[in-house]
Amino acid sequence: MSDSKEKLTLAVEIGDALLRSGGEIYRVEDTILHILDAFGLEDFDVYVLSNGIFASANEDKEDSCSIIRHVPLSDVHLGKIAALNQLSREICDHSCSLDEAWERLRECRRLPAPKPWIQGLSCGIGCACFCYIFGGTFIDAMCALVLGIFLQYMRMDQEKRKTSKFMTNIIGSAFLTASSLLFLNLGLPVGQDKIVIGGIVPLLPGIALTTSIRDLFNGDYLSGAIHLLDALLTAMCIAVGVGFIIIIYQHIPGGIKLL
Amino acid sequence: MILQFLLAMVATSSFAVLYGVPKNQFVYSSLTGALGWISYLFFCKLGAGIVFASLFASFFLTIVSRLFASIRKNPVTLYLVTGIFTLVPGAGIYYTSYYFIMNNMNQFAAKGMETFKIAGAISIGIIFGFSIPQRLFQLKNR
Repeated sequence: MSDSKEKLTLAVEIGDALLRSGGEIYRVEDTILHILDAFGLEDFDVYVLSNGIFASANEDKEDSCSIIRHVPLSDVHLGKIAALNQLSREICDHSCSLDEAWERLRECRRLPAPKPWIQGLSCGIGCACFCYIFGGTFIDAMCALVLGIFLQYMRMDQEKRKTSKFMTNIIGSAFLTASSLLFLNLGLPVGQDKIVIGGIVPLLPGIALTTSIRDLFNGDYLSGAIHLLDALLTAMCIAVGVGFIIIIYQHIPGGIKLL
Repeated sequence: MILQFLLAMVATSSFAVLYGVPKNQFVYSSLTGALGWISYLFFCKLGAGIVFASLFASFFLTIVSRLFASIRKNPVTLYLVTGIFTLVPGAGIYYTSYYFIMNNMNQFAAKGMETFKIAGAISIGIIFGFSIPQRLFQLKNR
């Protein structure tokens, strides 16, 4: 009995991890094919969707094997992509044995997400900087800093509770709008719109948009369409969250008029 | 201008932290973002209009990130994804929904169209950036 099944499993597992961390379809397919080739399998083929992998190898032989894998859309972790890329490079150079590769894959999977306070702080700083370069004042940027930190903690909390992504985006943008209106009515000299614009940057579907364009460009229309739909829906959720709060605000008597 | 550049760098690198970019790549990720933003401002100054400025800036951004990817032997995604955040039309989404709620239909239509145009321009910029043959980038590497 040869170990073709194990080799195929390894290749698909690596592809799975890549896809989970937000790699584009073309890269995943390419990686799996190269690894299978490096392991000396024959007659292999692989089909990758943005939420699934189908692969088979050694057709028409005794040890033919195939794998179907379901990969739910999940969080982007670019560090994992870089690490897995390095791993697959080494496998293709034959400088990494099968057992070693399994061990390395496990290590790549365990690469941790940044610590919560680092995530919160960096989200805040990012929001503040974006707020400033998009035309806000220094005070606006400081407000965005505070809101950004809260926003990231809220997102992490909702991730733990497995709230749907739509709700997270709606609640996030509603929270931003509501608190920016609060700042305005506390009498701070702020540009309310600038705070919100800086604050929603982490919610924006920048990654989904880029991935979908690249998928479409490489001819993976189905996956590209899935990511494009994701981007559009995310943008719509943000708009809904903002709009919802502004409607409520308009019906509250008193308060400072907008624009 | 320098302040804008530095702030765009800080902003991009803090998002790089958020998305788990390896520490030794921070400088490159943030440089792509800052260069993208500066080129956007530059084209705006030239009078290109927001849409065309987005197109040129995302084209430039893609080239820069492919260059870094080839030099640093890492996937392009690492640099492109973090850099693109400076160009994604967040303000457009906000104003579109704002004018919609305010029942200001003229402004709503104008902002909505503009947002879509910017998103389209970014896509086209990225596509143009990727249609440059990979060979050229590898030559520079040698």
